[in-house]
Amino acid sequence: MLRYLIKKLLFMIPIIIGSTIIIFLILHLSPGDPVNMIVGPNVTPEVYENISRSLGLDKPLTTQYFIFLGKLLRGDLGQSILQKRPVLDIVLERFPRTLTIGVFSLLLSFSIAIPMGIIAAVKRKTAADYMSMSFSLVGISMPTFWFGLLLLYFFAYKFRIFPLSGYETWKHYVLPVITVGLTDAAVTARMMRSSMLEVIRQDYIRTARAKGVKEIIVITKHALKNAVLPVITLLGMRIGWIFAGSAVIETVFSIPGIGRLMVDAIFSRDYPIVQGSMLILVISITLGNMLADILYALVDPRIKY
Amino acid sequence: MKKEYQEHADLIKVADKRVNFWSKLFSSKPAVLAAVLIVLFICSALFAAFIAPYPYDKQNLPEMMQAPSKKHLFGTDELGRDIFSRVVYGTRISLMVGFLSVLISTSVGTVLGALAGYYGGVVDQLVTGFTDIVYSFPVSLLAIAVVAALGSSLFNLIIVISMVSWAGYARLVRGQVFSLKEWDFVEAARALGASNLRIIVKHILPNTVAPIIVMATLEIPKAIIIESTLSFLGLGVPPPTPSWGAIMNAGRAFILDAPWITMAPGLVMMVLVLAFNLFGDALRDALDPRLND
Repeated sequence: MLRYLIKKLLFMIPIIIGSTIIIFLILHLSPGDPVNMIVGPNVTPEVYENISRSLGLDKPLTTQYFIFLGKLLRGDLGQSILQKRPVLDIVLERFPRTLTIGVFSLLLSFSIAIPMGIIAAVKRKTAADYMSMSFSLVGISMPTFWFGLLLLYFFAYKFRIFPLSGYETWKHYVLPVITVGLTDAAVTARMMRSSMLEVIRQDYIRTARAKGVKEIIVITKHALKNAVLPVITLLGMRIGWIFAGSAVIETVFSIPGIGRLMVDAIFSRDYPIVQGSMLILVISITLGNMLADILYALVDPRIKY
Repeated sequence: MKKEYQEHADLIKVADKRVNFWSKLFSSKPAVLAAVLIVLFICSALFAAFIAPYPYDKQNLPEMMQAPSKKHLFGTDELGRDIFSRVVYGTRISLMVGFLSVLISTSVGTVLGALAGYYGGVVDQLVTGFTDIVYSFPVSLLAIAVVAALGSSLFNLIIVISMVSWAGYARLVRGQVFSLKEWDFVEAARALGASNLRIIVKHILPNTVAPIIVMATLEIPKAIIIESTLSFLGLGVPPPTPSWGAIMNAGRAFILDAPWITMAPGLVMMVLVLAFNLFGDALRDALDPRLND
């Protein structure tokens, strides 16, 4: 178990290093000169030199990367060009909103998808199966932002049940959570169904049934534990999907979270903010993956190595 | 003599299987419907100029923000442009991004996966490691990062989507090649003096085509959704090119007064994506012998 977790942890290292390289390069690959982006195109050569040196732009690229990495390790994400505040402060101020949407949509998604997938598999080729698989197919085929706009239009504007925009009360989070949760449930339910179908074909299920175990016990005790394993593996990917999708959902519902911050900063060319918000998303995704791995190890007793 | 007979029987079996595949594929009504829809969308992309009643960028301020009517099937936007015409032209972007990015990512993934599966060893470790990293990194975040760095254009968009989606094919092909290379027919080809390249291209890869086609069919709708999502965030094809995501992004500001600007392109897009998903599922069912019970 410990060895398994250490192996998984070690696997995170290249991902984190790879992401920091990508995030570092964003600033350097982007069209336009970073100094001109900060102070505008009309500066005297001395001012240009000064800013360039203070940003470390006069050093070779590799040296700059290691300086960037060193600062990251000390929690220094730099200074926002537009807001003139430390990036870390801005990012931390907005992160809870993104996290709230992420956690609750994941909970909603799994609490819908797992029972739905099980029922669809057990009652294969019945109305229940067709209905839940149609739901899931439609959910997969729908762009998340469009579904969000649809909910916003009807439930916030037409029926006035939820507020149109803002982020102060729990009511502001209901529609975003439903949007992400339902679209995500569509993917997970499909996965749960095919995994359950695989499991109930196994010999030990036949044995359990032959012993005269009640069907409900066969499903909930014998089959479920095995069928849920691939879904837990999927959990890591779903967490990634939800965080990466925060830009979209926060745009639709005008919630100033990390995703929206990142996209706005891309437009205003506030690159330290782009880097900072991307980094915190990557860290959350990696931690989420780790959490999924730990959960997997807890559920699957075969993992001992 | 007996062997010849056996070969003949095998040939019949293969032919049987082919007939079986098509009849199986088109015996499911959703698959037929999906195929028809996909063909319709391809036609509307090819003949957009004839189908669209107005030019996609023709402004007509007196008729701005009109609700859907006979004159404007999907209504008009804030500049009086006909949404239906813009959606018809938008099919081009969606399908182009879908097909081209899948073509690129399939090629890259197949080559890398075949090399890794066939040669094993260091090549395999390198490719698998790289694949795992790309695979575990969320696609849309990577796409946003690359667009942020390179800027947005149709070309960049296709490259970005290919860059983030080849890993799935690499994994699939690697696994297939890995098991196929142990088969007798590969050994036979080698004994006859076939080169590695010939064995991979002529003997192994043809056996992996079916799952690749299924995967590619199911990846096209994903690429279309990524494109529209990036365009919705304003990171896609720059205006005035009508991409479905971009139309919805522009309509977002007017959603309360003119919901049709956002609703119509989304609905059309959902139909296209649904068609690809249905067709892909049907293809898989027709090709996957494990489900043929």
